[in-house]
Amino acid sequence: MRSSGGWKEKHEVMNMQRETWALLIILLIASAAAFAHATTTIEEYSRHNIGWNGTSNLGLEEIHDLSKIPTGATLLILAPEKPFTEEEVDCLRALLDGGGEIIIADKEGFVNPLLTALGSPLRVLPGNLSSLERDHADPRIFRARVTGNATLFAGIETLLVNHPAMIQGGVPLLETSLLAWDDTTGDGRPGGTESFKRRAICAREGNITALGDPSLFINAMLPENPELIKNLRGHPVLIDAVHSRTGTRNPIINTLTWIQATPLARAAIAVLAILPVAYLFGRKRE
Amino acid sequence: MRPRTSHIILVAATLVAILILAAHATTPILYTAENISTAAHADPATIKKRSPGDAASLIPLMDELLDQTGTLTLTIKLKDYESAERDLAHYTALSNRFDRLVITLDVSDTDIGEFQQMNRQNLDSLTTLLDDSRRLDDLKRLEIEVRGDDGRHTAVVYEGEALRQKMHQGFSTYAERVPAMSRIAENYEINTTTYQESTEHFAEAAEAADTWRKETGGKTPPSPLSINLTPTEGSYGDVIRISGTHLSSKVPVEIYVDSRLAKTTTPDDSGHYVCSYRIGKILAGLHLVYATAGPAYSDVRTFTALPGNTTLTLTLEEVSQATVACTGALMTGDRPVTGAPVVLRLDDTKLIEARTDENGTYTKKIALSAGDHTIRAEFHGAGFPLNPSESETETYHVSGDLPSPLPIIAGTAALLGTVWYLRRRHQREVTPEKARLETAQESPEGEEEKRELPAIDIRGLDPRDAATVLFHALRARLGIPATKTPRDCAEISPAHARFFERYEKIRYAGETPTDEELRWMEGEARGDEHAT
Repeated sequence: MRSSGGWKEKHEVMNMQRETWALLIILLIASAAAFAHATTTIEEYSRHNIGWNGTSNLGLEEIHDLSKIPTGATLLILAPEKPFTEEEVDCLRALLDGGGEIIIADKEGFVNPLLTALGSPLRVLPGNLSSLERDHADPRIFRARVTGNATLFAGIETLLVNHPAMIQGGVPLLETSLLAWDDTTGDGRPGGTESFKRRAICAREGNITALGDPSLFINAMLPENPELIKNLRGHPVLIDAVHSRTGTRNPIINTLTWIQATPLARAAIAVLAILPVAYLFGRKRE
Repeated sequence: MRPRTSHIILVAATLVAILILAAHATTPILYTAENISTAAHADPATIKKRSPGDAASLIPLMDELLDQTGTLTLTIKLKDYESAERDLAHYTALSNRFDRLVITLDVSDTDIGEFQQMNRQNLDSLTTLLDDSRRLDDLKRLEIEVRGDDGRHTAVVYEGEALRQKMHQGFSTYAERVPAMSRIAENYEINTTTYQESTEHFAEAAEAADTWRKETGGKTPPSPLSINLTPTEGSYGDVIRISGTHLSSKVPVEIYVDSRLAKTTTPDDSGHYVCSYRIGKILAGLHLVYATAGPAYSDVRTFTALPGNTTLTLTLEEVSQATVACTGALMTGDRPVTGAPVVLRLDDTKLIEARTDENGTYTKKIALSAGDHTIRAEFHGAGFPLNPSESETETYHVSGDLPSPLPIIAGTAALLGTVWYLRRRHQREVTPEKARLETAQESPEGEEEKRELPAIDIRGLDPRDAATVLFHALRARLGIPATKTPRDCAEISPAHARFFERYEKIRYAGETPTDEELRWMEGEARGDEHAT
């Protein structure tokens, strides 16, 4: 009868092997899903956001320290959300004095204090800029005409803009048609006190360009305006990673980014990965 | 690892995996974006591609309309009436196109809507100017022909005077609109030079009547036909009382409003006449009124139609699964607006026209596709002394058609057929051997003995050979194929594993069974219940 028990044990061992494989596969899938979720984000404009409203496909170099901007460089401040300190304003002033350029893309008016500090007459005027001349059901997605000379818009006649803000002051570079209105009532229809008027979406004063539509750089908009992105990549442009909203608040992503940027941390991770393998190999040999 | 432990780990890992996925299910990063928008922007790939209309042609059309006034007034001034007719027809067609565009683009409530109203008034003024200029030329010719015939000459002079007054009033109202229209046009960067020139041409055309009057003596005796209006202003639905006297005869008196015959009345014995004119479908602003009685023409009087506010209602009622009846009423104050066009805007783009009846109500049945729809009723005031209005936007849901039962029945039948086929196929694939094995394993032990077995006789045989005979007998009794080894047999029939394992040692390890073991094996082979 003991022999019969042996066969049962053999069956159980086989079952256990199957369970182990199933377990490993489930853990692998769970780990992959967890990793995918943990290393991406849905934050607006984040370069770690692979969704439609991220900037993962923008592919522009970032700069994390404004005091290290190369002379004559072009700096893109994309949808900023942090205020600029005196020292940072001085860095930007030095950049402008050295022949560099600043492109500020904002639709919420956060950059107005910076523009004031830099002595620029440009202002971002947030609102519900809408147009009658459009191809989309959303009145705030429409084509704007390039009306001024700028490297940024070289070879471009019209751009599809996405919920842009108006720009006041300076020389207009990108304008709506005459049939644009600020939809103060938010009903998507012109009327009442809302009047049709041509509005600037991008304007330039000296070496500062204010663009009322940072959405031009999100993943969903890149295929709509390929020439603009080509111009940016050809220029080359650095993104201010300190103030722009291209970063993330996700601690896992920030840790991984820190590890990638820190050689010592990378080495430590490599050691941690190699040690268990080496231990297992050594044990097997014994 | 013990089975229970592995089961616990497996369940725990599954739960953890489900929890991780569930926690992120609300933030679908890994899914395809659909109809997504945030406060900052929208995904253009998920927004419907739908233009509100040909907005690009709106401003060029306004420009063309203003240019057309210059061309038309010039041809009228030059008395090239054939060209003027063509220009007027073109101007009318452009105005109609512009009216439709204003409604389609839903811009009635903007300065473009204001421009549209004034353009309509300009069209009326220029149509009247063309008619008046033609009539003035006719009168000029007639006046020469009837010189010497005092009666007919006086009649011609009376009519000429009435015409002169009318043309002057027409010019005044036309000129009044120029600043407002020019201001709107300049907002849209439209050059208004031609339009400004049209005012000069209009003035010159009107002055032609003054010149002729001077040529005919410069004086017109008081007309035998008088006219008075009471009151001289009113809103939609108000009544203007038109009265006067005709001294010479009892011929019918015809009342003209904006050169169109509005009423005919007969004076009483004392030559006094009176009639009422209800303000209806006429534009807001100044309107010219005069009377004629045979050859006699009265002076020209004016009244002002004041613009009034309107209210428009909309109720949706289901007619059938895919048809909805839109009903409502158009009122100005407590008065119904009759014979007025009401536009039903379906899903912000499609326009359907209805018309109010004598009670100011309208009804229109609309066929709708499955899904949610928005409907809004709009009154654009065109041609009425009334301001535009619109109803609340109503939503209507049309449920999708129920699918035909035929595909469901066919699908179910196909599914059942597939299940039946697969089961049959599976049964066929089971080999006869396996079937026999299963039968052997599953059948009760009592039935094993019913199987016809060869007689077992091991007397006189060597113990090891006897064991072999017993092995073959048991294998045959259990229905196990002869190709199976003792180890295979033990695996197939664990209940007799001890027998097969013992025989394996006898067969392959060279062991010799004892008599007692042979008896036990014989008992097993025969299916003896007491074999131990």
